[in-house]
Amino acid sequence: MSTSDRGAPPARSPNPPRQSPPLLEIEELRVTFGRTAAVRGASFSLEKGETHCVVGESGCGKSVTALAVMGLLARGARREAARLEFAGQDLRALSERQLSALRGDRMAMIFQEPMTSLNPAYTVGSQMAEVFTRHRGGSRRAALDRAADLLARVGITAPGMRLGQFPHQLSGGLRQRVMIAMALMCDPELLIADEPTTALDVTVQAQILRLLAELQRDLGLGILLITHDLGIVARIADRVSVMYAGEVVESAPTAALFAAPSHPYTRGLLACVPVPGKVKREEALGSIPGMVPRIPPGFTGCAFRDRCDHAAPECAGAVPRQQAGAHEVLCRLPPGWAA
Amino acid sequence: MRQAGLVLGGVIVGIALLCAILAPWIVPHDPFLQNLDNRLAVPFWMEGSNPAHLLGTDQLGRDYLSRLVHGARISMLIGVLTVVASGLIGTTLGVLGGFFGGRVDDAVLFAITCRLAIPVVLVALAVVGLLGSSLTLVILVLGLLLWDRFAVVARSTTMQLRNLDYVAAAWSAGVSTPGILLKEILPNIASHLAVVATLEMALAILLEAALSFLGLGVPPPLPSWGLMIAEGKDYMFFSPWVIFIPGVTLFIVVLGINLLGDGLRDLLGAGDTR
Amino acid sequence: MTPAIEVRGLCRSFRQRGGLLGQDRTVVAVDDVSFTLAGGGVLGVVGESGCGKSTLARIILGLLPPTAGEVLVEGRRLAAMDRRARARLIQPVFQDPFASLNPRRRIRDIVAMPLVAQGDIPARQVADRAAEMLARVGLSAEQAERYPAQLSGGQRQRVAIARALVLRPRIVICDEPTSALDVSVQAQILNLLAELRRELNLTYLFISHNLAVVEHVATEVAVMYLGRIVERATADALFRAPQHPYTKALLASVLTPEPGLGVPDVGLGETLPDPANIPPACRFHPRCPVAEPRCATTTPHAIMTAGGAAECLLLEGAGKP
Ligand SMILES: Nc1ncnc2c1ncn2[C@@H]1O[C@H](COP(=O)(O)OP(=O)(O)OP(=O)(O)O)[C@@H](O)[C@H]1O
Ligand SMILES: Nc1ncnc2c1ncn2[C@@H]1O[C@H](COP(=O)(O)OP(=O)(O)OP(=O)(O)O)[C@@H](O)[C@H]1O
Ligand code: SF4
Ligand SMILES: [Mg+2]
Ligand SMILES: [Mg+2]
Repeated sequence: MSTSDRGAPPARSPNPPRQSPPLLEIEELRVTFGRTAAVRGASFSLEKGETHCVVGESGCGKSVTALAVMGLLARGARREAARLEFAGQDLRALSERQLSALRGDRMAMIFQEPMTSLNPAYTVGSQMAEVFTRHRGGSRRAALDRAADLLARVGITAPGMRLGQFPHQLSGGLRQRVMIAMALMCDPELLIADEPTTALDVTVQAQILRLLAELQRDLGLGILLITHDLGIVARIADRVSVMYAGEVVESAPTAALFAAPSHPYTRGLLACVPVPGKVKREEALGSIPGMVPRIPPGFTGCAFRDRCDHAAPECAGAVPRQQAGAHEVLCRLPPGWAA
Repeated sequence: MRQAGLVLGGVIVGIALLCAILAPWIVPHDPFLQNLDNRLAVPFWMEGSNPAHLLGTDQLGRDYLSRLVHGARISMLIGVLTVVASGLIGTTLGVLGGFFGGRVDDAVLFAITCRLAIPVVLVALAVVGLLGSSLTLVILVLGLLLWDRFAVVARSTTMQLRNLDYVAAAWSAGVSTPGILLKEILPNIASHLAVVATLEMALAILLEAALSFLGLGVPPPLPSWGLMIAEGKDYMFFSPWVIFIPGVTLFIVVLGINLLGDGLRDLLGAGDTR
Repeated sequence: MTPAIEVRGLCRSFRQRGGLLGQDRTVVAVDDVSFTLAGGGVLGVVGESGCGKSTLARIILGLLPPTAGEVLVEGRRLAAMDRRARARLIQPVFQDPFASLNPRRRIRDIVAMPLVAQGDIPARQVADRAAEMLARVGLSAEQAERYPAQLSGGQRQRVAIARALVLRPRIVICDEPTSALDVSVQAQILNLLAELRRELNLTYLFISHNLAVVEHVATEVAVMYLGRIVERATADALFRAPQHPYTKALLASVLTPEPGLGVPDVGLGETLPDPANIPPACRFHPRCPVAEPRCATTTPHAIMTAGGAAECLLLEGAGKP
């Protein structure tokens, strides 16, 4: 729990890498906004060089989880956790100054709303350079060169011209790529990407995902990727956590999850998406009836029970978190029941 | 804090409107009834005041409270009718320019530019001076002069809405162009126009007071606040309340209207973010 | 039989002001597009952002006049019809359910709007038909009294569909009707659109950049690149054996939910095209992974393929290695 006995990572270098703390460790994270419990006991852990995907419908608490890690929750939010550590450092113990020294440097975030997270009053270039000089010092010239280099890598033509433009002069897709390049300015160790490719074409999306994979290989970047595109998840994730109404309802290595999806919600999500090459045009797509409910604090039982085909009376009581190897499911049914 | 401003503004404007509407039934005396034996009676907070005349009397012995309440009638009438007239002109021009764009918009922009080049007070003075003063004329002149802000706001908000999908959907549904303007565009810019209306109303009331003070507004013996100040100015050294009372009333009412406008604007701003 | 939609040589360009110093640019959004679509079919239109899909939809809806070319709906020229007659034939469903409903009107009034606009339907009948349509898309009478802000995204899209179908049109133009929705809601809306099509014998023009969705709903597919349809074929043929290199690249970039395959490198390069500066000859040649020197000098023509047609020189000169 305490940070002192963990020590700084370099002191630990003689130990085998397994011993070093995970890059990000979250246990029992809870976030409430007044009468809404947005995150209700979510746990994740992320190793260096790993990609962990978080999926779920709109309003499941994915963005709130990411913002809670970055310490960027809106005012009025209450955050509690049994553990919230970045590379062995307790994030809850850090002052606002220490946190902002970490943010944008060792841990970076790509926000879901590219428009609201770029400052309309400054050019793209000066915002990108500012991030670099604030954390790394050096000349503005060098920072701008790096910015131009990264813009080119995320597929922006004429990066020199784009650096001089204001955010409102860019299309949605360009803005999203600027956000991605900006998050990579300081070679972060942890990248939290909240729906980073929603505004992009499939061809550009493929290019950006390839870039992230490359950085991960070269620099050991750990990526927490929030998305609702199950195709992206299947192709790049090492591990997947499915969130529903603020809880992680299923978590498993990617291959295991797609081979034996176990939570009825995960199965519902997978049935909803038409799979290219395997569509049956005359058949209806599977769908999950109803909507994500708004959960008040103090709610018990499975939050999915009103929409679930397998709900039983016991689902209204405490539901067990069942485990089979690395596959975890929060349901009365055990992992792999459907296989 | 903001809510407080909105509520205070609403209460002030509400009282002023009530006075304006109910004036003939609530005033204690006939505002035109002269009593030369009881001239310049002092208001209630001064020694020797007469409880029958709470705010004293003017230089002709008319009850000051009754005149003040009837003055609200004039001010509110001018404020409301001017806003209606200028709102109609400005909104029509602005909506047409913003919706159709191109040549129509160029013409509207030119009209706005011309209007901005006209010195309001001078033209008002000249027209009223030439044609003689009357309530209708003051309203007409102010209405014809104060529409520019309506036009600017209506034009820019309409431009934003014009490209929204619900306008495209109404178009595809076969709704006629006037139908689209009235049912799809207008209701969605109305809240912006309401804010402009409060600003213009305050301005119209102040302008009327200024014109009346110069003797070019509503003709005596109508009890306009500006006229009351003008008539009282000869007595201000010995009976300062005769200009103090209408002056403060004018200030409070204009302040109230502006508070209401600011409150509305904040409500709007907050309501816009989804 | 006359096709439901016939489009002949449609062109549309926009002038963009160049600011203080720059000169005006002409953006060619739709460039000589022709196709026909039989009644009861679903034409999926796919392509990159900015390739002119929405512009094409807006022209067919009559919201935007074309610079050249004409649109025929059931054999009649669209330009010659009045707006009410057009509304009875063709209706839109737009992408953003937040922007496509007037926030100041009740749901029932929104759905009744096309009926009211016809001007000759008695009020009683207007209310009945609107209520019936709302029930058909799965909304309750209580929800009909609400305002759009009080509904979820999926429910709003149902309202938009009800509004589009209340006049019983023949053709519905869907411009990315599910891209703003969650996958679970997307499935509900796609299922609803499919049911309604079967029931009412509708023809859809279905724009989407989600190829899996297009594969699921479309019977025919048109692939657009920089304002032109570069390949058009039946859905089966196109997804089984794409002919144009751009179609191939597009299909290869689709990430299917199959773990372990990684992200493919489709070889399109990193330069996105500029619609104000369309490359000569084959407009795809600067990005084409299999381009030959002649692609920069010769303009390709549409060549018949197994299920349709495609514009690529490699298909023309099959003789050249
Ligand atoms: N600032 C806030 N104040 C009050 N409630 C909030 C706030 N931010 C988020 N919430 C609530 O928290 C819940 C989770 O929201 P969150 O943004 O994390 O969803 P999400 O999973 O990221 O969805 P999406 O896919 O739409 O981005 C929602 O019910 C939302 O209404
Ligand atoms: N009103 C307009 N004025 C100027 N240019 C326009 C206008 N409408 C569209 N364009 C331009 O025409 C081109 C095609 O736009 P369109 O909206 O049809 O693309 P799209 O294929 O629908 O893209 P997306 O997938 O992003 O919706 C773009 O380059 C766009 O910038
Ligand atoms: S716990 Fe019960 S209701 Fe919840 S998902 Fe499992 S079976 Fe369904
Ligand atoms: Mg989110
Ligand atoms: Mg579009």
